[in-house]
Amino acid sequence: MSEVALYAHPARLRAANWLRTLAALGVLIGTVAVLTLVFGRTGERIALLMCVNVAAVVALAVFCGNTGIVSFGHGAFMALGAYASGILTMPAGLQRSALPELPGWLSGYELSVLGALPLVLLVGLCFALLTGSAISRLQGASAAIATLGLLIIVHSIAISAREFTRGSQTFYGVPRITDLTFVLLAAIGVVIVARLYRESRWGLFVRAARDDEDAASALGIYPRRARLVAWTLSGTLATLAGALYGHILGAFSPASFYLGLVFAQVVMMIVGGMSSVGGAVVGVVAVTILQNTVRNLEGGITVVGVTLPEVFGLTTVSLGIAILLVIWLRPQGLVGGFELGPGAGARLLDRIKPTVPVTPTPRPVTTEILKARGLSRSFAGVKAVTDVSFDVPAGRITGLIGPNGAGKSTFVNLITGQYAADTGTAEIDGVHLTGLLRHRIIEHRVARSFQNLRLFSGLTAFENVLVAALAAGYGRKNANAVALRELKAFDLGGIAAMRADNLPYGARKRLEIARALAQDPAILLLDEPAAGMNPAETDDLADRLIRIRQDRNIGILLIDHDLRFVNRLCSHIVVMNRGQKIAEGTPEEVRANPEVIEAYIGRGRVARAADASSTQDQVLAN
Amino acid sequence: MDQLLQQLINALSLGGIYAMLALGLAIVFSIIGLINFAHGDIMTFGGYGIFLSMVFGFPPVAALCIGLGAAVVMALAMERTAFRVMRGADVISLLITSFAVSEILKVFFQNGISARPVPISFPAAWSGSYQIGGMTIGVAPTASILVTIISLGCLTFVLRHLAIGMAMRAAAEDFDMLRMLGVRANRVVAAAFAISGLLAGIAAVIWTAQRGSVDPMMGFFPVLKAFIATVLGGLGSLGGAVLGGFVVGTLEVLTQAFLPDALAPYRDAIVLSAVIAVLLVRPDGLLPARTSARS
Repeated sequence: MSEVALYAHPARLRAANWLRTLAALGVLIGTVAVLTLVFGRTGERIALLMCVNVAAVVALAVFCGNTGIVSFGHGAFMALGAYASGILTMPAGLQRSALPELPGWLSGYELSVLGALPLVLLVGLCFALLTGSAISRLQGASAAIATLGLLIIVHSIAISAREFTRGSQTFYGVPRITDLTFVLLAAIGVVIVARLYRESRWGLFVRAARDDEDAASALGIYPRRARLVAWTLSGTLATLAGALYGHILGAFSPASFYLGLVFAQVVMMIVGGMSSVGGAVVGVVAVTILQNTVRNLEGGITVVGVTLPEVFGLTTVSLGIAILLVIWLRPQGLVGGFELGPGAGARLLDRIKPTVPVTPTPRPVTTEILKARGLSRSFAGVKAVTDVSFDVPAGRITGLIGPNGAGKSTFVNLITGQYAADTGTAEIDGVHLTGLLRHRIIEHRVARSFQNLRLFSGLTAFENVLVAALAAGYGRKNANAVALRELKAFDLGGIAAMRADNLPYGARKRLEIARALAQDPAILLLDEPAAGMNPAETDDLADRLIRIRQDRNIGILLIDHDLRFVNRLCSHIVVMNRGQKIAEGTPEEVRANPEVIEAYIGRGRVARAADASSTQDQVLAN
Repeated sequence: MDQLLQQLINALSLGGIYAMLALGLAIVFSIIGLINFAHGDIMTFGGYGIFLSMVFGFPPVAALCIGLGAAVVMALAMERTAFRVMRGADVISLLITSFAVSEILKVFFQNGISARPVPISFPAAWSGSYQIGGMTIGVAPTASILVTIISLGCLTFVLRHLAIGMAMRAAAEDFDMLRMLGVRANRVVAAAFAISGLLAGIAAVIWTAQRGSVDPMMGFFPVLKAFIATVLGGLGSLGGAVLGGFVVGTLEVLTQAFLPDALAPYRDAIVLSAVIAVLLVRPDGLLPARTSARS
């Protein structure tokens, strides 16, 4: 892709996102049409339930797909929605006989389903905020188990709170919905909301945190808050789906929302592909077809003269087998890891004309100085960094070298809040960075890259840089422009639409630096940016870094083992060994320092050869 | 005072069951990253092993041994058929796989044996009680505490002093490294499953001896509690799992004994909320597992 074509990327992405929403809706509406037209009344009934399942599973995927945490707790929201909407809409007379002990403030509203909906959604929202404030603190498997805990808690409360729910008995008298159009519209609404969220600022943030929590935090994303947003939206939508489900059933009990339902919905989500909205829709459709086919067999049928016996639970077994097959054969689900529909790089979108944007000038960097003072940190008695002090001023590339295990990366981690310092401070413009939460560091314009690549593997190259610009506080339009600026600066325009995990190694290394620069830092900490690059790539990277320092006047702290690379870029070098700073100065000064020579070459040689220094000069100069 | 001691015994007895189940979950999780939803069905299968062998006229003690064996066989079979092909998959895929295995097994139990509880009649003496210093103490809780202590003691010995045990502990910290050292991965994983099956079998023996019946969901609810216990203790930490098991068991017994009647139905909700509250303060659990991540 040429440079001009790169400028079309934001517009193409926008178009692709809408096409993907349409693709998901197309699958849903198409299936409903086929069901109603081909199978008549039966098909309509199946379609009704399918639409509710689409709403529920898409709601579930809003959390699971974007955070990577499987929730078993969404049955709780569905139960909440069903009971809340049931109580609010139940005819007063029925309510007196069904729920005689219902408190006065809750009884006798007789609202219409639509009239009750805002209240039900509000209840769901509050409950999601409450539970989310706990669950968003947990990660991975612990979070999944906690959601299971939530399901059990709500289930046992539903059984115990008899005055509201009739306990484990059937809760009846809920006005029934039979109007397919109404439910279909609700499902369409949920799909659109889920799609908008997925591609929004908060959707990108939470997906970045899913792919790499440390890197996301370094960009200024607060993973906990991003997860809370996802959980709250997801829970609210699930409450809506639950209310619809309740009105379709007309009568239900706490068991209707327990593990059976949760299992079926998780299967639908995984079968289709958890990480995309289109996947969730496809999963529901596929599982609905499977369920209804198998259900016909469950009662025992006769095939070619052989009567199959009646098997209770055949649907459950077939769901179980379906999910096992999908996980074994297509771990990402039927749709795969991508959203259903064309991506921004699709040929279909070639006709979109680029609009050349005004390239935003980076915020000026003037006199910022990052000062480390007496930083120390030990791990279980090992002193990783001991009393290290030096300055990284704007406008200079400061080298930080030292043998493996010298404490260089730990030093960067101390400055960026990855680790808490035992003693000492890091400050920029009089603001102490030590003690700040790590996602607050970027507010003071200190950005970093990581030693081992930490890209957001599920996002495209463009989105990787875009999310950094958004996290730095740019609005969507400016963030687009900033992302284009950095992709262009690092010659990544041709691969803007590719997913980060499909990129070649050199491009990934450059992308990580582009991502950090999209945050407009005053000070940039680069941890081994040239590691693993060949000499040509290293030279190319050096050229780009020199240009960026000149153009933007930013300060760079450069850690690398390639001394030729470091010598070419840095006018000032700090040397660390065994956690301590052993030398600092111009490259020439550092090269002449006996301690540095000892750290790199070893003591024996220094003592033995008087003329060693000239040899070592060469080694270090290389 | 009497009541307190009585409750203490109950708490230790219930906590011991949870601890053994949680430990079985934690051993497997620490090595291959599987949170085994089907662990409860291993326990249930052990229960059915006891039931069927008694139906076929085995004496009670032999039936218990057969139950233990059944649980171990089930655990190994599960590993071989469902989880070995998934080696190296992410936590979520493994979790979902075990979820599916669990659902399928439940249907088999329902169709193969019965959807309703089937009775197991042990000798009357087993459910009796004895007197110490004017206190009545049940035989079953006492036996369960003894069995728990012995099991955990033996397991500690295996993990600390036998080669396979040390291999398992090493695998828990860094499985790839262990494989590079030439230890056969399949053997370590199979041993982990066997031990987790054995612990589930012991739990099944104690559970059925105290309750006198088996149903398809028998193992499910105690294993749910054990899940909570492993998370409370710190996922992947073996000591944490045992501690978590006893904490959950104790909380449950205490709430059962001392909660006012009006709140009694909310017991599970209160216990679980308390556990989640602890996790908010210590997201990695009470005794977090050691990991070797670096940035």
